[in-house]
Amino acid sequence: MRRRLALLLAVLAASPANAQAAGETVRFISCPIYRDVDAGRKSGCWLADERESGRRFDIGNAPTKPDWNHEVLVEGKVSSAPDACGGVVLEPVRVSVLPGACTRQMMPAESFKGRAFVLPERNVRPVAVPRPAPQPPFTERSFFLLYDFNRDFLVYQLDDYLLDQAVTYIRGVRPKRIVVTGFAATTPASVSGRKIAEDAAVAKSRAQSVTEALVRMGVDPKIVETKWQGAAAPAAAPGADGLVEASRRRVEIRVFPK
Amino acid sequence: MLRHLIFLGLSVAALAGAFAQRAPSDWWAPNDVRTFERQTDYANDTGIVRTLLAGAPMETVGHPFFTPLGPNGRACITCHQPASAMGLSTDTIRERWETTKGKDPLFATIDGSNCPTLKQDDPKSHSLLLERGLIRIERDWPVKDAAGRAVKPDFKLEVVRDPTGCNSGEWGPGGKKGKVSVYRRPRPVSNLKYLVAIGFAFDPKDGMPLDIDPETGKPSNSNLLADARAYTLQAQARDAMRTHLGVENAIDAAKVQQIVDFELRLSTAQASDRRGGPLDAAGAQGGPMTLETSQPGQLGSQGRAVWSEFEAWEKLPASLTGEQREFRESVARGAKVFREKTFLITDSAGINSPIGFGNPVRNSCVFCHNMSQMGNDVAPGQVDLGTTTQPFADPAPHLPLFRVTCLGAPHPHYGKVIYTSDPGFAMTTGKCADVGKITLQSMRGLAARAPYFSNGSAKTLMDVVNFYDRRYHIGYSEKEKQDLVNLMSVL
Repeated sequence: MRRRLALLLAVLAASPANAQAAGETVRFISCPIYRDVDAGRKSGCWLADERESGRRFDIGNAPTKPDWNHEVLVEGKVSSAPDACGGVVLEPVRVSVLPGACTRQMMPAESFKGRAFVLPERNVRPVAVPRPAPQPPFTERSFFLLYDFNRDFLVYQLDDYLLDQAVTYIRGVRPKRIVVTGFAATTPASVSGRKIAEDAAVAKSRAQSVTEALVRMGVDPKIVETKWQGAAAPAAAPGADGLVEASRRRVEIRVFPK
Repeated sequence: MLRHLIFLGLSVAALAGAFAQRAPSDWWAPNDVRTFERQTDYANDTGIVRTLLAGAPMETVGHPFFTPLGPNGRACITCHQPASAMGLSTDTIRERWETTKGKDPLFATIDGSNCPTLKQDDPKSHSLLLERGLIRIERDWPVKDAAGRAVKPDFKLEVVRDPTGCNSGEWGPGGKKGKVSVYRRPRPVSNLKYLVAIGFAFDPKDGMPLDIDPETGKPSNSNLLADARAYTLQAQARDAMRTHLGVENAIDAAKVQQIVDFELRLSTAQASDRRGGPLDAAGAQGGPMTLETSQPGQLGSQGRAVWSEFEAWEKLPASLTGEQREFRESVARGAKVFREKTFLITDSAGINSPIGFGNPVRNSCVFCHNMSQMGNDVAPGQVDLGTTTQPFADPAPHLPLFRVTCLGAPHPHYGKVIYTSDPGFAMTTGKCADVGKITLQSMRGLAARAPYFSNGSAKTLMDVVNFYDRRYHIGYSEKEKQDLVNLMSVL
């Protein structure tokens, strides 16, 4: 009996519905599940089921965490990291909170330990901490800020860090011109059986808010040109961590030295 | 008059009898001839609150903080009393009513009564101030932002309940004055270097760098006032002169600067406790000196832990026994509970949205009360705890109730329609998503200035703890609750 059960589990583990290949990219819409693991501050687990395959993923590494009242768009790569929450770990991963409603689901910790919070590498230092000044020769450079789906909100511990890098370069270079271009992924894509596309207007609001952000950080508005466009193609944006679809939702800050 | 001087240099034990009553002379009236000493101490129910003035003692005569600048006889000192930790407690307010038969300028028609339309010599007309410590605050409708610019709100505002009469007719949002009346506790005017400190250039709650004050061209951390309607202490002083002091003429910038310079010299904290003794004893660093000498704007999670001033009391010498030991140990435990006891924070705008911490997010009190020494938010601290907004707020039939209808996107947690007694930050931003957000309270000198929360809904520190316990289903034990109360009583 026990042998039969072991065989069954082995078959299930090898079945297509449960197969994971490290590096595989997934993109789906689902309702998030919160597992209340207490491993200290910010330690709860976030999970989401890919309905098409039946796989449950750990999406807690995303810079933006879910809201248990709303659907999420999950974009990530399957990782071989150990399961601490009850799902296959996606890393890198991005989560966008969508307007669609979900029923709240909170599970107990059960046997899962979760993960203690670790300060992400992309974190902004206090203003009192000096930034290394960029060294000449100064070249034309592009900085990219990345966004959640259909939002123009600068993502904490991602975009604030990337913006800080851009501003540090701008302060060192003192450029003659900066071009801020907002992009939106307006071309419809099929995800979890539905067509999704960003609003064209979000490209404009992303661009305008980044220009405003630069001005607040001391950049002369007279040298900033603000543009926007839809139907965004993917870009080699470091903040996207190789997630092609996420890279479409961006603002590019092009810095032209004197 | 002499009482604050009496305390200087004397032990708590020698003055135990003084805790029992509060003399009317605790009150600092405008135009009093006084010296603001380097150290000013006052007794309260649990101990002594101390205010330090950096630099030399200062004569108050003629100083604009202590001088009525408008026609109603009030000065800044009226609502910012040393005995109340540079704020105002209901005990102090009621004493003042009894002493002056309600004639003190504190009870000025314009905002020291529930509404100017009421009969002013009736204490019922001042019930919100007398019973809850609340001052009437007029906000523009439609909204003006912190820079005074008109903002088109993305919500509709309707008055559901108007027990004071000040949100109806001429005085209400539909009247020709175009005002909304909300009722709030005065905030203490001390430890202000912490409230204006810039720790980080980026405001994660807004998803933008800190906003720039158009007057100075400098970033503001927006931690002044419940609704962040003033970017700077100067702007706050001007706002107070116009609204609370009734100044109608041009405001003298030099006087404003004198007020701000004085305010920035003040550090206030509880200095000793009846049971625990001096709060800087046995290795602890309570009291205002630590506040005066520390660098503001530091994040507790990356530097000196919040309330670690009482860490030394975790391991007290065996020779210390009795009530004093028990109290000190309780304070030390309270600090650890404050930092380490995590709970699920849910549906609180400013925490669970729009920033991506998640809803829910597990964290402790220091998630928001994160600045070393002070416990305010290093980032702009506008958060909706639900103290003013249904269904989380306690019943408040004495306060107005507004129905806010979001015209665009729904509020991230309440939906399209929100019922609130104070829209808070939304009255500065015009954003439906900001309804109910209130800037974090200062946590120093609490024992001297009950009641608590912006609307005075918590009469005691235990009420504060119980509100959080209910709101977030924390499940504090009775011992943990008392430890937190004891901690807050010594801040």
